[in-house]
Parts: sequence; C-alpha cells; structure tokens
Amino acid sequence: MPRQDRLFLAFVLHRRDYGNTSLLLDILGSGQGRFPAIAKGARRPRQPASALLQPFQPLWLAVAGRGEVRTLTRVEGAGPPIPLQGRALLGGFYLNELLLRLLGRHDPQDPLFAFYQSALSRLAEDADLETRLRQFELRLLDELGYGVRLDQVAEDGAPVLADRLYTYEREHGVRHASERAAGPRLSGATLLALTNGERLADGQRREARVLLREILAPHLGARPLKSRELYQRWFGSGAIAESPQRRDPTTARPVDSEEPC
Amino acid sequence: MGERSLLNQLIDALRCLPGVGPKSAQRIAFYLLERDRDGGSRLARIMADAMTRIGRCSRCRTLTESELCELCANPNRDDALLCVVEQPSEVVAIEQATDYRGRYFVLGGRLSPLDGIGPDELGLAALESRLRDERLREVILAISPTVEGGATAHFIGDRAARHGVKITRIAHGVPLGGELEYVDGGTLALAFAGRRDL
Repeated sequence: MPRQDRLFLAFVLHRRDYGNTSLLLDILGSGQGRFPAIAKGARRPRQPASALLQPFQPLWLAVAGRGEVRTLTRVEGAGPPIPLQGRALLGGFYLNELLLRLLGRHDPQDPLFAFYQSALSRLAEDADLETRLRQFELRLLDELGYGVRLDQVAEDGAPVLADRLYTYEREHGVRHASERAAGPRLSGATLLALTNGERLADGQRREARVLLREILAPHLGARPLKSRELYQRWFGSGAIAESPQRRDPTTARPVDSEEPC
Repeated sequence: MGERSLLNQLIDALRCLPGVGPKSAQRIAFYLLERDRDGGSRLARIMADAMTRIGRCSRCRTLTESELCELCANPNRDDALLCVVEQPSEVVAIEQATDYRGRYFVLGGRLSPLDGIGPDELGLAALESRLRDERLREVILAISPTVEGGATAHFIGDRAARHGVKITRIAHGVPLGGELEYVDGGTLALAFAGRRDL
C-alpha cells in the first residue's frame, strides 16, 4: 500500500464521466500498476485538472483511499503531452486498450510503466509505427508472464535461422514449417527481428502483425479490439491520409493497405 | 407509507435529473404536490410528449420534432458554411453567442475507440456525403480540445481534404477575464502558438 499523498508518475489510460462533475479514470502509475481513481469535481468549469487528466499526458499524481477505487488528491503536469497525431494517435489508443484488456488491477509493474512511456515517445517521433507496436506487444506479454520464445524452435530447441520458414502454433510455439502445420507461416528473419527488437522490413511487417495477433488472441478473448476497428475504418480503404496538404511524418511512407495493430 | 407508494416512485424518478440527489428529489416532489400541481401536470404532459416526439434532424442530427430542424429548414442561412459540433446544446450556445449564419452538423460525441464510439456512432458517413455533395466553402470544427476530440477533428480533416473542402477549427486559448498565471500550461501553449496579428 503506497504512502498517501506521495506523488508518483502516471498516465491516464482512459477516462469517462462520472456523476455530474467528476471523472472516473483508469490510471497506470509508476510503482502502482493499473488502478481506477476518481477525480472529484474535475469537470466543473475552469478546472485545470480536466485539461491534464487525459491520455498521453505525463502526470504527477497523489491518491488517497484504500478501496478498489482511489481518489485523486493532487494532479500536476509532468511535462507537455506526448504529441501523437493521426496513425500514431491510434497506435497510442491501441496501447491503452491492450493495457486495459490485459493488465490486472493493483499489480505494480514498474518496468512496464517505463516501457509504456518510452513506447509513447517513440510513437510520436518516428514513422515506424508497426515495429513499435510489435515490440510493445512482446514486452507486455513478457511482463505478464505470457512471453514466448521466438528465436528457437519449441520441439527441438534448434536456433531459428533467418533464411528458413517457420510456423507458429498457439499450443506449441515456433515449429519448423511443414505442410500439415496450422497457424501463420513466417520467415526466420522476421522472428529474429522481433526477438532482437530490430526494425521490421516492409515484407516482415505483415508477418509480424499476423504472428502477434495469433499470440495475443487467447489472452484477449473474443471481444474485438476497438482501436483496431477504428484504424481499419480510418486508414483501411481509400487511403485517405494521402492527400498532400495533410501529410504528416507517419503517413509520408507508402500506405500498407492493412491496419498495423 | 408503502414501500412503493406513488410518492416514493415520483421521488425515485426525479433522481434521473442531473444534479438531483435523494434530498433534492424529495424537495421537488413535495413542492410540486403541495404547491404547484398545475405546474407538475404540465411538466408531466410536456415531458411525455417530448420524450416520444423529439427525434433527430435528418440533415444535421440535432434534436427536433420535425424531419428537418429549424436551422436546416431556414432558407436564409449560408449553405456554404458548415459547423461541426459534438452536442445539440453546443448548437444553441453558438447560436446565442456568435453571429454565425451557416449550417450545422451534430456528431453526438467524439471518436473514442476505447468506449466503442467509432465513425458509425457519430454519423460520419452522413457528414462525408455532405462534404461530397454540398458545395461547401468552409467546414468549421467546434470540437472539444481533448485527445478524443483531436482524433475526431483529424479524422474529419482527412475526409474534408479528400473532398477538397477548406477546414478550420475554432481557436483554443485563454478565457476572457482569465489571468494568464492561472491558465493551465497546455492551454497557454496553444494560445501562444495560435497568436495573431493585432
């Protein structure tokens, strides 16, 4: 139980209106894990806290209360909001949705907080959205104890080779590719790039995306991810982001016709 | 007094009003019954009528009991201007506070994937067909400056750009009578970035 009124670094993962003037927040706090909290009166007019209590805004928070839902007692900005726009913003929503769906409450995950923070900053600064998302997914799975080994074949422990083909099966992990194997097929180079946190080449992005979907599926359950749906609707068909006036760094590259999440 | 007497039911029902807790609900119920039964009956009649007859305008999605709301039906308004807002109450606020004479489109919220609010829930297909079919000179986005509001604005901006329509958003900045020292950093930064010539 954290000492009360001590400030800690935090992000709001999600907020919704609560009562007439308050907000119910889902918070990821450094040393605190994910927990729900109420910001009383934050929706009254001229409440600076309302501007701060948003996703992707680094915060200093203090909370009171011992129950499941805490009460915020102090809110201060810990720097400017992370400037996510367009695709990167949807990537940010996707990270938040993954955390909301996969992370239990009140389970301190210190490394995860730091990794989330740096993942957001990286989403904001470069165009390689997919590599960032895949790295976050793998890291999240690791922290939750669902980590998978992608650099060796599960059956015989043989190291994965870049120029060979493999399949991934939920029950068994990475296997040598064969005709009767179920699950997605992918190249050893993709598996190694994922393991080493390297940038994914164009052809590898799709393989990595399909692989991670397969790995995440049993943990996410049947309910579809909403941020993934929005991404499909926004960028899926018609490539609307390609009009020259509104091109931002994340859309300046040729559009992969599918969603990255 | 029985557990589910009419009086108790009335008090319970009044609690659905925003800002009305058990105490105020009780006060309102006793006031209407003891002092203003006519007012209460009138409220009940109009409330029942409004709840069944008021729907959405087929063009701008604001609240109205007709097919088209007054603003959409008014021939004297500028068809080339379209202001996009989140809620019907904001149409009223803009009408009262500004001299805007164009048309409106009410989203009914903002894109919020984690709450399951996507383009369909906001009628963005209807907005897009207006962007495509109407000869719009400018689309003005009057959407809350929150993260979700930003996503919504960006989404509509993309669609408008595709149809070659000029898109603007209302200024974000220091409230009138506000002191700079007490304005939050984010607002101040936006106000500073959006400064203009005197």
